[in-house]
Amino acid sequence: MSDLSRTIEALLFLSPEPVGVADLAEATEATEGQVSEAMELLREDLAKGKRGIVLREVAGGFSLASAPAAEEAARRLLAKPRTPPLTQAQAETLAIVAYLQPVSRPEVARIRGVSSESAVQTLAERGLIEESGRSRFGASLFKTTELFERLFGLSALEELPDPSRFDPTPEDERELRERLLKAGEQRAE
Amino acid sequence: MLTVSVAELDLELDVFAGPFDLLMAVVLREEIDLLEVELAEVVVAYVEHLEREGELELEVATEFLVLIASLLELKSRLMLPSAEEELEELGPEEAVEELLARLLEYRRYREAAEMLSERFERNRGYLHRAAPLPPELRRVAIDAAAAVYDPERLAAALGDLLVVPPPLDTSHIRPTVSLEKRLRAIRDALAGAASVDFDEQFGGEDRLTQAVTLFALLELYRKGEVTWKQRQPLGPIEIHKRAPAPETSA
Repeated sequence: MSDLSRTIEALLFLSPEPVGVADLAEATEATEGQVSEAMELLREDLAKGKRGIVLREVAGGFSLASAPAAEEAARRLLAKPRTPPLTQAQAETLAIVAYLQPVSRPEVARIRGVSSESAVQTLAERGLIEESGRSRFGASLFKTTELFERLFGLSALEELPDPSRFDPTPEDERELRERLLKAGEQRAE
Repeated sequence: MLTVSVAELDLELDVFAGPFDLLMAVVLREEIDLLEVELAEVVVAYVEHLEREGELELEVATEFLVLIASLLELKSRLMLPSAEEELEELGPEEAVEELLARLLEYRRYREAAEMLSERFERNRGYLHRAAPLPPELRRVAIDAAAAVYDPERLAAALGDLLVVPPPLDTSHIRPTVSLEKRLRAIRDALAGAASVDFDEQFGGEDRLTQAVTLFALLELYRKGEVTWKQRQPLGPIEIHKRAPAPETSA
């Protein structure tokens, strides 16, 4: 580890938020290239399994986090229970906000087919989404937060997989269409 | 024709995240002959379930029901206020395309949601420091500080707070007028004179007081204490004290 990488390690330790390369360069009075090199050294030193802390690249910056192996003990020490997993309603709502942001509550409801008030509220309370402006109809618009990127291990929103990969194959689509047509056949009421 | 009812389909309505979820599940079930399923019944049962759970978004549910009705050409079955016009426009083929588009859109985000849930689980083990910086490191250099708000805006906001609000108009709050007091008022007026002019005596009062006084007048008439004369409609009312009826001897 070089002096610079040791300094960067200290800065990441002190910062509760992920820190970007530009900020690190400014703070250490080094070039961004030097910071990147130093980061590689740090990354090696903190490689998986070596230490109790790991280097993570999230939310447009770098951050130190505890290694997963220490999670249980950490929660006991800090008396912080695990947050509950996302419900399907919350996950669907979050997916819609993540991919279509900024997006309004009515739009979310339209896609899901049900009211999404409580899911939106819970996600906002958990800090995963936040209000960001209004639509031209006056409805609040929502976006994901930096915390979302951190908790989901995303270095940036662009890292989310292309949504088209979640679409069914042409064959499956055809089958669904045929079945819907069949359901509509011969219903003379 | 044998039709399979909702109960026989063995559907746990709770399990479905929404009407699209339900529709896809029913339509894609291999073992059911779709001609036998009472799809409309299933859908309506589900929408009612949503309403009971407080999860109904009325506009969305209406749209969905209209599409199902168009698909199944059910014009009378679903009694929706705005459905009539919309049903005329959509034939079953168009309803299928529209439903399909909505189903596919929903499905995309349902799958993306699964991906996100998995991602969340995978990343849960990593904990981050949430502690704020120690106090000695929290100070910012003056030159690094940047103004966020225009000072004029702040002044305008404070100014608004200092403006005294206009006094409230309480004229619409009516005090009540006591009938007892008005009875006494008429009796007092007649104490000094045999007759009294209503307008002269009570014309200066507000409308409510005058109305209750008139009512008191009727009450006194009923009791036999007064009579009155009004020579023309809307003309002055003369109130006369009434002499108590002489005792009649048998």
